[in-house]
Amino acid sequence: MTTRDPLLASFLGHLLPGDHNGWPTASTLHLARRFREHVTRTPDGTSALALILDHLGDGFMKRAPDDANALLLKFEEEAPDEFERLVVAAYSVYYTDPGVLAAVERLTGYEARPPQPLGHELEPFDEALLANVRRREPFWRRINDILPSDRE
Amino acid sequence: MRNAPETADIVIVGAGASSAAMAWRLSGKGLKIVVLERGDWVDQHRSPSLRPDWELALQSEYHANPNIRRAPADYPVNEVDTPIKPAIFNAVGGGTIRWGAHFPRQHPSDFRVRSLDGVAVDWPLTYDDLVPYYDLNDRMMGVSGLAGDPANPDRAVRPNPPLPMCPATRALAGGFDELGWHWWPSDAAILSVDDANGRSACNSCGPCGLGCPRYARASVDVTYWRSAITAGIELRTGHVVRKLEMGKVGQVNLVRYINSNGHEGTISSQVVVVACNGLGSARLLLASGDGDRDGDGIANASGLVGRNLMLHPTAIVTGVFKEQLKSYRGPFASALYSQEFYESDRERGFVRGFQLQALRGQGPLSTALGGYMRRLPWGTGHHSRFVREFGRTVSLTVTCDDLPESENRVTLEPGNRDRWDMAIPRMYYRLGENTKRMIAFGIDRAREALEAAGARDVVVNPLARQAGFHMLGTARMGLDPKSSVVDADCRCHTVDNLMIIDGSVFPTASAVNPTPTIQAIALRAADRLLARLGMPQERAA
Ligand SMILES: Cc1cc2nc3c(=O)[nH]c(=O)nc-3n(C[C@H](O)[C@H](O)[C@H](O)COP(=O)(O)OP(=O)(O)OC[C@H]3O[C@@H](n4cnc5c(N)ncnc54)[C@H](O)[C@@H]3O)c2cc1C
Repeated sequence: MTTRDPLLASFLGHLLPGDHNGWPTASTLHLARRFREHVTRTPDGTSALALILDHLGDGFMKRAPDDANALLLKFEEEAPDEFERLVVAAYSVYYTDPGVLAAVERLTGYEARPPQPLGHELEPFDEALLANVRRREPFWRRINDILPSDRE
Repeated sequence: MRNAPETADIVIVGAGASSAAMAWRLSGKGLKIVVLERGDWVDQHRSPSLRPDWELALQSEYHANPNIRRAPADYPVNEVDTPIKPAIFNAVGGGTIRWGAHFPRQHPSDFRVRSLDGVAVDWPLTYDDLVPYYDLNDRMMGVSGLAGDPANPDRAVRPNPPLPMCPATRALAGGFDELGWHWWPSDAAILSVDDANGRSACNSCGPCGLGCPRYARASVDVTYWRSAITAGIELRTGHVVRKLEMGKVGQVNLVRYINSNGHEGTISSQVVVVACNGLGSARLLLASGDGDRDGDGIANASGLVGRNLMLHPTAIVTGVFKEQLKSYRGPFASALYSQEFYESDRERGFVRGFQLQALRGQGPLSTALGGYMRRLPWGTGHHSRFVREFGRTVSLTVTCDDLPESENRVTLEPGNRDRWDMAIPRMYYRLGENTKRMIAFGIDRAREALEAAGARDVVVNPLARQAGFHMLGTARMGLDPKSSVVDADCRCHTVDNLMIIDGSVFPTASAVNPTPTIQAIALRAADRLLARLGMPQERAA
């Protein structure tokens, strides 16, 4: 943990605040650490991180929610590319966190496991679905014996 | 005293889709064939799709854009002057490591664009010339699908039955039916049943682009290369070919490479085949010639090497449905397509046409990042928007035929070199007026189809940016050496022991994914080469 992680955690909590349906907030120190590590591995991530920390200042954590959001909106407007990088990194660590994936499972029916090796069961193709389109006559253009033109 | 260079009968540069097909077809005939590939093997049994953080891989080591991925084998590409960014994969298997395996064929009319529609050029080949090779390639890649599509000429019974549909693609098919529009289950280079060579049937996991640990989704490392290497082809990884050097008699004399140990070497070969895709091949040809550093380019008497770059501009239109469809289940890009608007109809305000290809939904992270739509908002509204969209979307690509324009091109930046001391390539690309009209029309049709399917919202991405998957046209084939680089057999008009076999040789782009055609051309070129060398050939079909 660095001394700035609490500030980062607060920033993440504003981006992904969680809700009463069971979405966890992103404002945990564990996500702050992953976020910091992740964003500094992405192109221009380190400078974006420095910029936001500077912009927010230590007072950010004490601001009222509306006030804090207004500050973030201002940053988004002034430094859209840097802000986008930070949002992408925030979503990246949030949606690969086991706790968040468990919430996705609970709230949407998604299976919170890697796609492989289990995959998913789908019903075999039902050719009856093609009844309409099978009534169509072939409609591709025939070229018969047109020799290639060398015109341009 | 200098050592004599190594010799070979045939050197192939690149080990992607086209190279694999050709090398396999040439194998087992007693020829010394050496393949030089800049990348390495990818162990698909360790695909990120087995990891809990699999979606991060799509943002990093499996990102399709080499400038973002920055893997050791990648070269930088100047992409400032193109709205459509490069999407390639530098490894044994090339783009097929990363692809969606949608496997359509061109139409007969795609080979006679000038004669039928009065624009661009005709191909020196016909659809019928390629049919035996399309069929052979389908068997080698293990294609699943269904014959009988009225939008296309009839074709042989598909090697495997079609892949399953899912609730989302069934809804889409219903939308097309309601409008009376064509749709058909995709030919996919993905197995629907186990094969006899250790590849298992698809289990509908979704992200084919991360490699397939079951080998269900074909990639040429697990199809062609296995057989080609068993039959004696020598494939050397970590070998970056920097230059082809001309000899005195108007032939390529030497292939210059640098390997991953930093060792520089040369091979002298009777025939040299370039298969580095529409970007990499143009780059290599432009960097070749005489002298130590960049040459003036070879095989370029027409001035067309690098020109006529075509990229299949693609819009993506997404329907958001009320029901939870679990649309992330099933191969992301291979489900069904509509070719209702494929053939030209001037009343639409443009010539040529487009394909609508279904794309399934994505995982949680990709959904939050916008997937085929826009990034979800941050803040209090985020979670409800996620629930409203995740698993409830299906998209249609509007994949446009792209007419060749000389200004759209790949050039070199001599002052800007990569770590192998090669000038980096620069892409210059603008959408033509015909394409702009086509894409606008196609977006409206895709919206109609999704609304008919029952979508409650439709979201349009008017131009997919990280989508330069289909690099075509930069060394086109033709009859006339003044207006083309290679002939119908992929042999350079002006350098008769040099062949180019990848998508560079496409005179026009068609509106379908190109790999079946690229591979059919490569298989045919192999047969024509064997005939020139007086070697026995097998029947294709
Ligand atoms: C994300 C994605 C999705 C796609 N989906 C589909 C799809 O669904 N259907 C479809 O038909 N197509 C699809 N494609 C396109 C398909 O991958 C390409 O059409 C196909 O791979 C092109 O084959 P190729 O042989 O021309 O080139 P590639 O497969 O790109 O192979 C070129 C090879 O050359 C090597 N190389 C380059 N330069 C050098 C050098 N100087 N020295 C040595 N080696 C070199 C590269 O490392 C690479 O391995 C997709 C591509 C991507 C990236």
